[in-house]
Amino acid sequence: MLSRLVIVSASALKGSGPLGAGLVQASRSLHTTSQSLAPVPPLPETGGKVRHGLFPEELFQLLYPKTGVTGPYMLGTGLLVYLLSKELYVINHETFAAASIGTIIVVGVKKFGPSVAAFADKLNEEKVAKAQEVKDQAISVLTQAIEDEKKEQWRVEGRSMLFDAKRNNVAMLLETNYRERLHMVTTEVKRRLEYQLALQNLHRRMEQEHLVSWVEKNVVSSITPQQEKESIAKCITDLKVLAKASQAQARA
Amino acid sequence: LVLSFFDQFLSPTFLGIPLIAVALALPWVMFPALPSQWLPNRQLLLQSWFINRFTQQLLLPLNTGGHKWALLFASLMLFLITLNMLGLLPYTFTPTTQLSLNLGLAVPLWLATVIIGLRNQTTVALGHLLPEGTPTPLIPVLVIIETISLFIRPLALGVRLTANLTAGHLLIQLIATAAFVLLPLMPTVAALTAVLLLLLTLLEVAVAMIQAYVFVLLLSLYLQENI
Repeated sequence: MLSRLVIVSASALKGSGPLGAGLVQASRSLHTTSQSLAPVPPLPETGGKVRHGLFPEELFQLLYPKTGVTGPYMLGTGLLVYLLSKELYVINHETFAAASIGTIIVVGVKKFGPSVAAFADKLNEEKVAKAQEVKDQAISVLTQAIEDEKKEQWRVEGRSMLFDAKRNNVAMLLETNYRERLHMVTTEVKRRLEYQLALQNLHRRMEQEHLVSWVEKNVVSSITPQQEKESIAKCITDLKVLAKASQAQARA
Repeated sequence: LVLSFFDQFLSPTFLGIPLIAVALALPWVMFPALPSQWLPNRQLLLQSWFINRFTQQLLLPLNTGGHKWALLFASLMLFLITLNMLGLLPYTFTPTTQLSLNLGLAVPLWLATVIIGLRNQTTVALGHLLPEGTPTPLIPVLVIIETISLFIRPLALGVRLTANLTAGHLLIQLIATAAFVLLPLMPTVAALTAVLLLLLTLLEVAVAMIQAYVFVLLLSLYLQENI
């Protein structure tokens, strides 16, 4: 981590020339910018690139112009051989212990590394998903509210037609009511007139019957017994004549 | 300069400066502070996930009064597990192999739990000295035995951690020396010894984590009895 810092600053300072060191000091005292912290530059998403798990990529980039691709490897090999040959690093039992723990670490990282990284990413994903869900829900609620509002506006437009229909309805009801009442009035008047008519008819009929019965009574009472005998005898003679006539007709 | 096998446990000093202070401060470097960003990077995420889960699990059986110890237990666990695991690297010094350190951690914490118990609920704390359902003639003997077991707890805590780690480191060194010495003489046997060393190192990794966990777990148990 610190080696990366050294390498990066070394290459930066190398490019800035003889004024490099002086500028580093000078920029602290002169106020050339407004020194605002916003907008903050975005944080890097992944860590620094490393080769073989330990050596930062910047080392390889630093040595590439002068020594090419194999430069850092030669450096490593040479360093190792130097340390071993001059016995600056003595191989003893600790080397074996280092080898065993090194093997375990490397195997462990290679085997469980991806799954652990996926687990960590999943934890982050869940956190983001929860927030995203809240945001999506809020958006959907608001969209729904917009649609409901539009529907309400459409409903309001149709409301005038509704009022027209209601007005028509009411007019028809009034008309029907008026016609009914008219009909009722006509019926009632007709009933009363018919009653009067019936009354008059009854009256005339009763007069007629009374008159007829009175006339009959008078006629019957005026027939004397003498007249009755005479009329009966006349009827008998008439009947005899008629019987003869019919007999004659039947024979003929 | 002949090194004995126990020289790895000498508390290192350099020009009179005790380097054990540096060794003790090293775990602080491995756990950086959480930045104020919403989604941390993988390392911090995993560390904070582990700390949260561990503390939640440890504090489950404790009542609300015991939750005051959460920070202490979490930091103690992180401290011990980091010290143990870092000690497995070559040429490192493990501070937890020093009995002074382990007793220095165990005795005050155990004593704190006992004093809390005796202050807040004296009869209950004293009642722990007699298990339930003992026959009457056995009571005096059992009280003595329980008192002894109570006082041996801090010793057991400290010595357990020390002994496990010291034994582990010694074994690693012995077997590594055997493999190293056998390499020019009998390479096949040296290879077998190397395999044994690999397995042992695996065991030591497990032991390092388990011993730290057991230390903190037992302290939480002692707290549970007394809170």
